[in-house]
Amino acid sequence: MGSDSQKKPYFPERVQVACSQCTLADLCLPRSLDAFETEQFEHIVNKSRPIQPGEHIFRAGDKFQTIAAVRAGCFKSYVIDKNGEEQVLGFYLPGEIIGFDAIHEKTHRANVVALDTSSVCGLSFESVTEMARQLPQLQEELFRVMSLHIAELEASSADLSAEERIARLLCSLSLRFASRGYSAKEFNLSMSRRDIASNLRLATETISRVLARFQSAGIIRVNRKKVAILDENRLKELARRDTC
Amino acid sequence: MSSITTSFPTELINKYGLAGPRYTSYPTALQFHEGFDEEAYRRHVQYSNDELIPRPLSLYVHLPFCRELCYYCACNKKVTRNRQGADLYLEYLEKEVEMQGKLFDSDRQVIQLHFGGGTPTYHDDLQLKSIIEQLSDSFLLSRSNSREFSIEIDPRTVNEERIGYLADLGFNRVSMGVQDFDPAVQKAVNRIQDEEKSLRLIEAARQSGFHSVSLDLIYGLPLQTAKSFEKTIDSVLTARPDRLSVYNYAHLPHLFRAQRMINSDDVPAPEVRLQILASTVSKLVEAGYVYIGMDHFALPEDELSIAMKDGTLQRNFQGYSTCRETDLVGLGVSAIGKVGNSFSQNLKDIGDWQAAIDDGRLPVWRGLSLNGEDRLRREVIAAIMCQGQIRFGEFERKFKIDFSEHFVLELELLKPLEDDGLVTVSDFGIEVTPTGLLLLRAIAMKFDEYLINDVQGKSYSKVI
Repeated sequence: MGSDSQKKPYFPERVQVACSQCTLADLCLPRSLDAFETEQFEHIVNKSRPIQPGEHIFRAGDKFQTIAAVRAGCFKSYVIDKNGEEQVLGFYLPGEIIGFDAIHEKTHRANVVALDTSSVCGLSFESVTEMARQLPQLQEELFRVMSLHIAELEASSADLSAEERIARLLCSLSLRFASRGYSAKEFNLSMSRRDIASNLRLATETISRVLARFQSAGIIRVNRKKVAILDENRLKELARRDTC
Repeated sequence: MSSITTSFPTELINKYGLAGPRYTSYPTALQFHEGFDEEAYRRHVQYSNDELIPRPLSLYVHLPFCRELCYYCACNKKVTRNRQGADLYLEYLEKEVEMQGKLFDSDRQVIQLHFGGGTPTYHDDLQLKSIIEQLSDSFLLSRSNSREFSIEIDPRTVNEERIGYLADLGFNRVSMGVQDFDPAVQKAVNRIQDEEKSLRLIEAARQSGFHSVSLDLIYGLPLQTAKSFEKTIDSVLTARPDRLSVYNYAHLPHLFRAQRMINSDDVPAPEVRLQILASTVSKLVEAGYVYIGMDHFALPEDELSIAMKDGTLQRNFQGYSTCRETDLVGLGVSAIGKVGNSFSQNLKDIGDWQAAIDDGRLPVWRGLSLNGEDRLRREVIAAIMCQGQIRFGEFERKFKIDFSEHFVLELELLKPLEDDGLVTVSDFGIEVTPTGLLLLRAIAMKFDEYLINDVQGKSYSKVI
């Protein structure tokens, strides 16, 4: 993996991981595998050392070899546009897979950087492909995860107002935190206001203005980078989504 | 907060009138250290920009120059009639403003601005205008009516016309140094200013549309007596300023060179000092002023009095304020900033400060990152200083502590104060009594972790 690795390797030694014991077992790639298959899968997983905030795991242009499953923390992926501006493509939470966008060109398109102290499980894509040939459930899971990505990208490319975009992001995060066993109602965001603005293609001040509006309407409460959802139904309405 | 007592607790003030900080910040500047450097400051600014709804900004601009030395002064100042140094200072200040402005996201509004000194009005109108323009180029200055843009003025350096000009520049609050009108006292502190002119300027400020006119007085100055100071108060009351600050003069000639010009024998004895304070407090309360806390009084219709009633009062380096929480940017030599969970202070020597700016560095001298315990205690102390009460439940919810368990030692230390009637303590909270209001510092000190750990504090000014 990645270019910061000249400093310290991400995978200092081969650490035997136990996917079956992992708290993310219900979210991650091997979730549909049985005990025996999971054990096989564990052999292709490399557990990283702690990755510090600001440390990159992939750089645009890196040769594609590995995909990464987030174990802990949070990552953002971004590209630098032709004006030299950073454009945030997405955020990754524990259990989510980074790197699928690199398959077709065999090169990473995006830079991926840790926003918090994080760690990942590295998976050689070659080994994953190999294993998926033998285990149809794994192949199906890979397709499902990729499809989810595509669906989310399509949904976000719709013509949405700033309110809708921001409400959707909050709904999506709430849902993602909840499925990881965290509170759906109160969470700390690792990303900055600027990152969110870039990701939603809104002006930075719009993020604060809309959040302040949500706050005075009693929908959320914001304290620094912490969000508490006070009125889930209103938020869903704003997001024009049934689930939050 | 309950209103101030009518009977003056001389004995208690004698008892608790020991050394103590003013808690314009917690931890106090004594805890600042040089390990907190420019890089640390930049990091805290970045965090503050990253917040989902960043706080609005306050700017403090330190203008240290004075034409003459007031012998009581303990501020960081530079006394000179040579204008070149001051002109050069402003050039550097503008560079610093530009550098600082770049750090903060451009949508963060400045809702509070304060020019302090020194003597800001040492500089001429065009110079002040140029500072405002630079600030306005580098920061987003609020255009709202509710913004608090204030300037300290020395009545000796302004006339009615200048007051009008300051209003045109955008200032809407003014605080005026009066100290004492008695000619003998004025002479003893080397600050001779005309009583009638000072009063006229207050009126001029009102005419020019300043929202709030504040006067500073000092008691405990050489040659003062209860009687002589009463005359000053009577005179001041004829102009009925919106706010009054009555500061205590702390005679510490070993720390402040200027004070060595004062004959120590002329400084009123502690009991005289207390008489002065007692008669001042009763006169102001009689005249309808509300005691806000510490050294501050305000008319009942003034925002400060209203905020005190609502429980929305804030405390910052300028004393009390009604602004919601801001990040404070300190500009100029020795200026103190407060960004997120940090304090920072600029280099205090003009030469060092300029050298840093020449190198393209922010002139950060020292500072402090607050840890979790500091943040908790900062809020406890603010509740004492601003609300006159602590509700345990609020702190237990917010900081996930059991108050009486967490502060078991502090509550023990508070017992003698409870016995003396400064506070009442129940299972739900602590309430400052009317008597205790005069001794807020002594109460707050019981929650100051650094003082508890280091019970010396000789260099503080007296509580009263």
